[in-house]
Formats: sequence, structure tokens, C-alpha cells
Amino acid sequence: MTSAFGNLVAVQTKRTLREPASVFFMLAFGPLFVIIMGAIFGTEARPEFGDRSFVEANLVSFSAIVLAITSFVMIPVDLVGQRDNGALRRFRATPLKPAKYIAADVTVRFAILTVSLVLMLVIGMTAFGAKTEGSIVAVLLALLLGISAFLAVGYALAAALPSSGAAQAVGNTLVYPLIMVSGGAVPLDSLPDNVRSVAQISPLTQLTEFLQDLWQGGTWGDNLVAVSVLGGLLVVATGLAARFFRWE
Amino acid sequence: MNTVIRCQDLSKRYGDLLAVDGVSFEVQQGEIFGMIGPNGAGKSTLMECVEGLRTRDSGTVEVLGMDPAKDAAEIHERVGLQLQTSALPPRIKVGEALQLFSSFYRNPGDWRKTLRDLGLDEKVNSYVDKLSGGQRQRVFIALALVNNPELIFVDEITTALDPQSRHAVWDVIRDIRDNGTTVFLTTHFMEEAERLCDRVAIVDHGRLIALDTVTNLINSLDGETKLTFTVNGRPPIRELQQLPSLIHVERSEGRVVARGKGRTFAQEVMGMLADLQLVAEDFRSEQPNLEDVFLSLTGRPMREGSGQ
Repeated sequence: MTSAFGNLVAVQTKRTLREPASVFFMLAFGPLFVIIMGAIFGTEARPEFGDRSFVEANLVSFSAIVLAITSFVMIPVDLVGQRDNGALRRFRATPLKPAKYIAADVTVRFAILTVSLVLMLVIGMTAFGAKTEGSIVAVLLALLLGISAFLAVGYALAAALPSSGAAQAVGNTLVYPLIMVSGGAVPLDSLPDNVRSVAQISPLTQLTEFLQDLWQGGTWGDNLVAVSVLGGLLVVATGLAARFFRWE
Repeated sequence: MNTVIRCQDLSKRYGDLLAVDGVSFEVQQGEIFGMIGPNGAGKSTLMECVEGLRTRDSGTVEVLGMDPAKDAAEIHERVGLQLQTSALPPRIKVGEALQLFSSFYRNPGDWRKTLRDLGLDEKVNSYVDKLSGGQRQRVFIALALVNNPELIFVDEITTALDPQSRHAVWDVIRDIRDNGTTVFLTTHFMEEAERLCDRVAIVDHGRLIALDTVTNLINSLDGETKLTFTVNGRPPIRELQQLPSLIHVERSEGRVVARGKGRTFAQEVMGMLADLQLVAEDFRSEQPNLEDVFLSLTGRPMREGSGQ
């Protein structure tokens, strides 16, 4: 590959795969999670999971959690770190256009996230017999919308936050409460009413419920609120990221 | 001879601080042009305005006939930049970095040859993070050369290096010049400027206070000689001050430092020490250097904390 875009994609891919933490979270965390949970809880249907197996009941929620941790913590920390140490500044000293750099970076992160999340679903469905009552295509498309929106949020956070320490702190402070109220980690029914209504504002809750509904046979048309929230988030976060992105 | 950089009345302000204050100079094709001055003198700011990485407040700048405020991308296509604070993304290998940066240019050179010329060919599969300071600086020089630039900017490249690596980098920079590329560098090491630069601009508080060849700058001091020594007794500061040829005497780190004029200055000082029956040890006589040029122009030493 001799084009700048091709080289950037190749180098960013290799760099990402060389970082043990990012390989784990971006590629292996999801699949491993499914394997471990499947091994522990087995594949038989249980009444507490609505007469479904543990994996079948939670598979898509876990994919949303993995996506949130990657997008809200790992990506901003990585981007801000490269800005802090002058790596982005070095690119600025060449004829490379910023848009080309960002496009390549987004492409790689999008591809790796997609591979990881799809792998997670495939393992859940083949090795542990999780079945969807809806359309798997609808689920995958919703996942792609979620990846796009959350990646844009990651870029916006990177643009807004002053240092990688701040990115780490803000990301973690943001993501764990969001996971708690997403319905993916703790059943929403077990939370107090007022927490539940506040939880509806969270994009992670919206994505989790959207994926769960599609998994259980719903359609995109049944989830227009979630689709508008995620679509709106994508537009707003992309705008913020483009407006405030800094090389140094 | 062609002018590759033309800079007229360049100024840059940060709040109340006039970081660059009406600087004018030209850089000619094929020379190593050095800009020296203490830390915080405005060298890097000035260089970055010329490179197109910062916007100037006033003045005109031309690099290869183009204005960096308007044509930064086109200038970056034809010049090489080595920045004072920059890095590469983590976990990238030397060869990957060179190939990547080559792909940003319309007419990249042969980056493998560049690595060979810089003695880095065996490091092509090494991680940049794992290299020594000197090797890493050579990688950054290689990155600045991948487009076969007509002009290369080098900002404080040897600051963090040990003396041996510093000398190796100097050789590299001389080779770059000998291959026809103009070099514009900044440094706060006077020795670096003396050994390397064809012409030197001295900058202090954002202003250009002198610009000439190293030889001319030193000759302008009118043959001042600096003597340093220790004595086995009370340093004869007061007595030395009586010598008509003496310009300045001070104690610095346990040694006597005396500057004077005229061919017999050293002899007179030794005669006085003999009269006082003092034994001088570690007696050194130095011809003036750029450090002294700076001192005589500004009244203070280049490096903070070195005497006075």
C-alpha cells in the first residue's frame, strides 16, 4: 500500500493490535466474556432469564457494555495521549490533511470494534446456542449505529478533555454509572423508579434496550426513540469533535 | 546565491509577552544557518512562525517564495521539519514510521537509503520507543528527510543528548548540508553553533541582536582573552582590577576568571601572580567564543546561573 490513507490504516491497525490492553478490550474482551459466562451458567434455559439461557438473555447487552468501555474510556485516553506527547503534532508538520488522518483512524477503530462485537455474537450463537427471535440483520445494523454514535462521542471527549489523565478520570466516572443503569449489568426492574426514569436519558440504556428489543423480535420501527437518540448523538458528537479537534 | 527564507519584521505576541519582536533575516541556499540564544529567547516560536505551525501577528515571511501563513501544506511538501517537542505514536517500528511518512508526500525519496545514510539500517524493525536518545533523534532527522527537502528545520535537536551522540548528530547535519540541503537550526549550545553553523543569528528577548559568520562575530570582540585559574591563597581580585588591560574579573566556582584586552594581558596577569608569590594552577587561556559575544552584547551570560 502506498497511499497515505492505506499506510495510516495499516500502521494504526498494527499499533492497536500490539497494545495488550487494547487487544484485550477491543478484540478479545467481548468473545472471552461470552465464553466464560457460557461456561459458568451453561446453556439451559432458566426461569429467571425469562426461560432463556444466560448467554441468550444477555448477549447483546454485553456487546453494548464492551462498546461503551472502549469508546468512552480507551479511545479518548489513546487520542489525548497522542496529542499530549506530540505525536499528532508531528503529523501536522507534513502535507497530510487532518481529515485524512481522522478518517483512517476512525476506519481502523470502527473495523476492530465491529469484528470484536460480531465475533462475540457469533460465539454466543454457535458455541452456546443463543437464538434471536428477531432479525439478526436488524441487530447488526443497530450495533453499527451504536458503534458510530459511541465512537463519535469518544472523539468529542478527546477533543474536549485537556489531558490523558483527565480522559481516564472522566471516562471511568462516566462509563461505570452508565453501565449500572443500562439494564445490561443489573436488571432495570430492580432499580428504584426515579433512577429508572433518569436512566432513560443515557445513550447506553437506549442502545441496550434497543438491541434487547430487536433480539427478542422487535423491529427498528418499534424503537424510534432509541434510533433518534443514537442518531442525534452521532450528529451532535461528530459536530463537536470536528469543531474542537486539536492537533496540539 | 538563492535566498530560501526571507523574514521581514516578524512579530508574535502571547498576551503581554512579545515573544518575537520585529525580526528580519535571510537564509541562503546551501548554508547551515543557526539561531542561538538562551532558553525562552523566542527561537522556537520564531522558527514555528517560519515553518507555518504558528501564525505570526505581523511582518512578512517567505519560504521558498511562499507565505507559510497561506501555503503551509505546499511548504511542508518541500521542506523537512524536526520539531523540538514531537513524538511518534507508540508501538511503531522505525521502518513503518519512515514508510508512513513517505506516503504523505508527492515525491518521496528512498527512505531505506536515508536510514542507511544515518546508520539506522539495522534498526528498521526496532520499535522507536526502544531506541536510545541519539538514535531516536536520528529517526526524527530521517523523517524530516523523507521528501528530499530543499530546506530542513532543526529545532534544539541535541538538547537531551550526551556529548558523543551530539557529535554524531553534528556529522549528520554537515552531511545534509554537503548534499545540498539548506539547514536552519536553533540551539542554545554555543559550541554547537560554532562547530556547525556557517552563519549565526543571536536572539535575545525576541529580538535579533547580531547576525554574521561565527568568525566575524568573534572578531568583533576585538581580541579579548579569557584566563581562568585557581591560586593557592586569597584570589587577588582587587590587585587584578588595577591592571589597565583588564576588562572584568570575577570568582566563579572557586576559580578566578579574568578577561582582558591586548597581546600581553596573560603575561601581565602571570607577572602579578608572581609578584604576590601566588602559585597559579590549572591555568587556562581561552580565545573568545560565541558565549562571550553574547555576554558582551547583553551584559549577561547565556546560561542562567553561570557566574555573575
